[in-house]
Amino acid sequence: MSASWLIRRILLIAYTLLVVSLLVFGITQVLPADAAVMLLGENATPAALAAVRAKLGLGDPAWLQYWHWLAALLRGDFGMSMRTGQPVGPTMLVALSRSLLLAALALALMLVFAVPLGLAAALRRGKPIDLAAGIVSYLGVSLPEFVTATLLLLLLADRLHWLPATGYVPLTDNPVDGLRHLGLPVLTVSLVLIAHVSRMVRSETIDVLHSDYIRAARLKGLSPRRVLFGHAVRNALLPVITIVALDVGYLLGGIIVVEEIFAIPGIGRQLIVAIESRDLPAIQAGALIMAATYAIANFLADIAYALLDKRIRYD
Amino acid sequence: MTDVVFRLLRTPQGAMGLVILVLIAAICAIGPDIAPVDPEKIDFLGRFRVPGAAHPFGADQLGRDVLSRLLAGARTTVPMAVAATLLGTLSGAVIGTVSAYLGGRWDEAIMRTIDAVMAIPGLLMALLVVNTLGKGSLNATLAIAVAFAPGMARVTRSVSLAARRQDYVSAAIARGEGGAWIVFREMLPNVVAPVVIETTIRVAFAVALFATLSFLGLGAQPPASDWGLMVAEARPFLHQAPWMLVAPGAAIALTAIGFNLLGDGLRDALNPRDER
Amino acid sequence: MIHLHPTRRGVLAAGAAATMLPWAARAQTAAPKRGGTLRISVDQAVGVLNPLLTRVNPEYLVAELLYSGLTRLAPDMSAEPDLAQSWAGNAELTEWIFKLRPGVTFHDGSACTAKDVVASFTAILDPKTASPGRNNVGPVAQVTAVDDTTVRFTLKAAFADLPVTLAYTNAKIVPAALVASGLERLSRSAVGTGPFKLVSYEPDRQVVVARNDAFYDPARPYVDRVEVVVYPDATAEASALISGDTDLMSAAAASEFARLSSSDGVTALRVPSGQFLNINMGCDKKPFSDVRLRQALALTVDREAMVGFVAQGYGTPGNDTPINPAYRFYEALPLRPAQIAQAKTLLAQAGFPDGIDLTLVASDTPATRTQLGIAVREMAKPAGFRIDVQTMPHATYLDQVWKKGSFYVGFYNMQATADAIFSLLYTSDAAWNETRWNFPEFDRLVDEARVTTDEAKRRTLYGQAQTLMHDQVPSVIPVFFDLLAAQRSYVQGYKLHPRGAVFRLDWVWLGTGAPKRS
Repeated sequence: MSASWLIRRILLIAYTLLVVSLLVFGITQVLPADAAVMLLGENATPAALAAVRAKLGLGDPAWLQYWHWLAALLRGDFGMSMRTGQPVGPTMLVALSRSLLLAALALALMLVFAVPLGLAAALRRGKPIDLAAGIVSYLGVSLPEFVTATLLLLLLADRLHWLPATGYVPLTDNPVDGLRHLGLPVLTVSLVLIAHVSRMVRSETIDVLHSDYIRAARLKGLSPRRVLFGHAVRNALLPVITIVALDVGYLLGGIIVVEEIFAIPGIGRQLIVAIESRDLPAIQAGALIMAATYAIANFLADIAYALLDKRIRYD
Repeated sequence: MTDVVFRLLRTPQGAMGLVILVLIAAICAIGPDIAPVDPEKIDFLGRFRVPGAAHPFGADQLGRDVLSRLLAGARTTVPMAVAATLLGTLSGAVIGTVSAYLGGRWDEAIMRTIDAVMAIPGLLMALLVVNTLGKGSLNATLAIAVAFAPGMARVTRSVSLAARRQDYVSAAIARGEGGAWIVFREMLPNVVAPVVIETTIRVAFAVALFATLSFLGLGAQPPASDWGLMVAEARPFLHQAPWMLVAPGAAIALTAIGFNLLGDGLRDALNPRDER
Repeated sequence: MIHLHPTRRGVLAAGAAATMLPWAARAQTAAPKRGGTLRISVDQAVGVLNPLLTRVNPEYLVAELLYSGLTRLAPDMSAEPDLAQSWAGNAELTEWIFKLRPGVTFHDGSACTAKDVVASFTAILDPKTASPGRNNVGPVAQVTAVDDTTVRFTLKAAFADLPVTLAYTNAKIVPAALVASGLERLSRSAVGTGPFKLVSYEPDRQVVVARNDAFYDPARPYVDRVEVVVYPDATAEASALISGDTDLMSAAAASEFARLSSSDGVTALRVPSGQFLNINMGCDKKPFSDVRLRQALALTVDREAMVGFVAQGYGTPGNDTPINPAYRFYEALPLRPAQIAQAKTLLAQAGFPDGIDLTLVASDTPATRTQLGIAVREMAKPAGFRIDVQTMPHATYLDQVWKKGSFYVGFYNMQATADAIFSLLYTSDAAWNETRWNFPEFDRLVDEARVTTDEAKRRTLYGQAQTLMHDQVPSVIPVFFDLLAAQRSYVQGYKLHPRGAVFRLDWVWLGTGAPKRS
């Protein structure tokens, strides 16, 4: 991990954000109907449309709009929401903090369950535990979130009353209540992650167990347990880091649906509302923040990978 | 080819996946013909009828037979997901192979841009594209294809890079063959196996994504009996008539599971070195 | 000097107690208790805070908490005093005088006077403001301040319903100083004269307001604080009320109503309303210019069944006029039955003996539009109508089909008066002339009723107008929706308003059993 590597990675993140902003801006330019139409609805007389468009700056040529937006962004200003007239930056960052909390809890839950499940399945191949893990993981990766979410809501909230159905309570208001309200969304999101990652852990572990150097370690007379936890697990976890980083992309997408269903005012729901109302500054800010989160997660994964990898070579 | 099928059938996942998918393909082919009643026939007195003799999977809010709608809907749901994936795979594969063939700075520029595009979550990308093109099955298909293309480009490129170093490509270059010829005749065929596996698993994703778009009101439109749309329409009646949701939800899950199993089976069947 | 001629409404409103009777009578059963926090859920974001620009019910709800108008709409659709204590029109009904409450202050402490009323209405009527109120407050030509507490409305034409139309959702009074500075501030803060002051505003999550101690009525509001919570998902919203997370839900989905009704501690609320779905036909072009074709389609619809299909039974059958019993001037005509054979005959007479192919456009918001389209398609099939239902996003619909197309599904809220709904949709000069029916006899009846103060005569005129519409069928109106809501049983004083956009939460109080909310 040299300095030049770090600089290169950071430049790549900047390039990523530039491409994303251009792409999203391009798409918003060809979206049918604009924020003025959405704001006025049935009351959109030509005079009212013209007035609102002028106020929102929608009359400018596209390149000028993009330039104004970029210049403001470089000053740290995401602009004003066309829908609500509120500053977009603070709104989106507050929303992001809620989504990140949801994502972090889901990732934590995933790590707690997925790694042991995957290892157990790999070590007991063909046994009931492997079969059960297989069924869980196939179901998890195959069921769309909106189906899982609805079924969990029906079961855990409406029938068993274990968790509140939906709604969002800030942790600062009431930590216990806040966490309980996040229960169903976290479960929904983490189910898919658990399914995906436990499969990866299983297959990586199997690969590693079959690899030459594990065979060599066994031949050297090391106990199977030491072989497993000293070498196999660590080697199997390496690709898992990459998978988790890639899953952040899935996670951010999955959050869009889950937030919509459970009424969590996070960045996913902000984005859906922004797209529906053609709120360009909000779409731009939301997409950029999502892309940045993804890029940074991958960056961190690379660093973690490099660090772990080094330790392995020292072994 | 027969060899691959044989090996596929020997893997438990492959065999199960194949059975499920053959069943679903059969439903796609003859589903509308074996539907017990007209899937669009409304029945005032039969609204929300519980599953029973008349309606094995119950009836919906307009008294339509859920089983008949499910059978008719297979034809719009599954082929759309397959088409979306194939389209995404094809365009991604072309980009990835071309990038690997060009190599050097071009490869670098293309791949960094692909990485950048991949930073936009697939669902968000699909949402943006569908909103731009307008709602509907066809546009949802295109949106999923667009969302899949970058990932497929990345997969194809990495296997193509390996292929590019192979002797037959060098030989073709030495023969003085044109770029397009090399890409399409020499490199693409050799990247097929990993791409087929990846594609199969992605169909499962596409089924779920397509359903999600319909669920968000952006995919198939009523009165279509697309499965995702059926789930979306059933959701408000969750407490009143859960069967409306369970049947199409299970159908989506089964299809996705089928493709996932087949993908895993193919992975084992096509990678003989890895005798798991 | 204008001769003030007190109209029927004017006389009633002059004694404020008279219009408030239904409320007073109910309140007597138990004395309202002050204090507590009311948590009410809404089904959409409160995207717009500026009261002149609000468009959807949750925004109206919040605007009503923070702002006052000149008049308010009572549950019986009559006008009752708000900032105006009394009013009267001249004999010709072309000029109206409103007397304001003295000593009212805005939330920032400044006085609210006739000057602010004039500035607010000038802004509403200015096309640059783009306020939906512009088309709906009545034919106002000019608003002038006579003195600090007297405002004169000069109209473009005689108009008997002005006190009611001035209760329109967007006709709120804001400070003249803010109007002068461009109203920008009102999208982030609230400076009104309403019963509550704004505490916090997060458009997609929650709006919190607290009691305005300087409110003009010392008795109200009863609760100290109102939290308006946004639930975009109907099932989730109902679950939140059932689990006790919320106290009141402003609108319940039909699909949730049975569950709400059977839940402990929950009282489900239901009121018949004039909210309707219709199938608009372009009467200016073939084929719908032929009245026989329109009648044929109307004859295929089983209206009682439609209430079940589209409103899950929570509604009333429509009779092809926009007026139902929820309106004051409803004319009870016999309900048109479904008669397929006669429909076939009419269709053949209209030149389609082999049936007709049509494309019916339905926007995706609300989803009931599509439901109606699918049900009509199936009902009309046996008579020879082959209808293809095409759904599209609401924005595309508004942009390309609405008011322009010749066969599409419309959806409208109840309006305060018969005149408001007729002149919004069906007269030749209607703001949203969807059907281009343009029927001179109908226009004449509506015009005459507009300037008539005699109740019986008005009833006759509106009755004739409804009969005419029923026969001519410019649009098929098969179903009216009941408005549905639900509350925890300890919530007192909430009355579901048939208009849909009116909430009157300053009358609500919390009885025994209400949870303590901090």
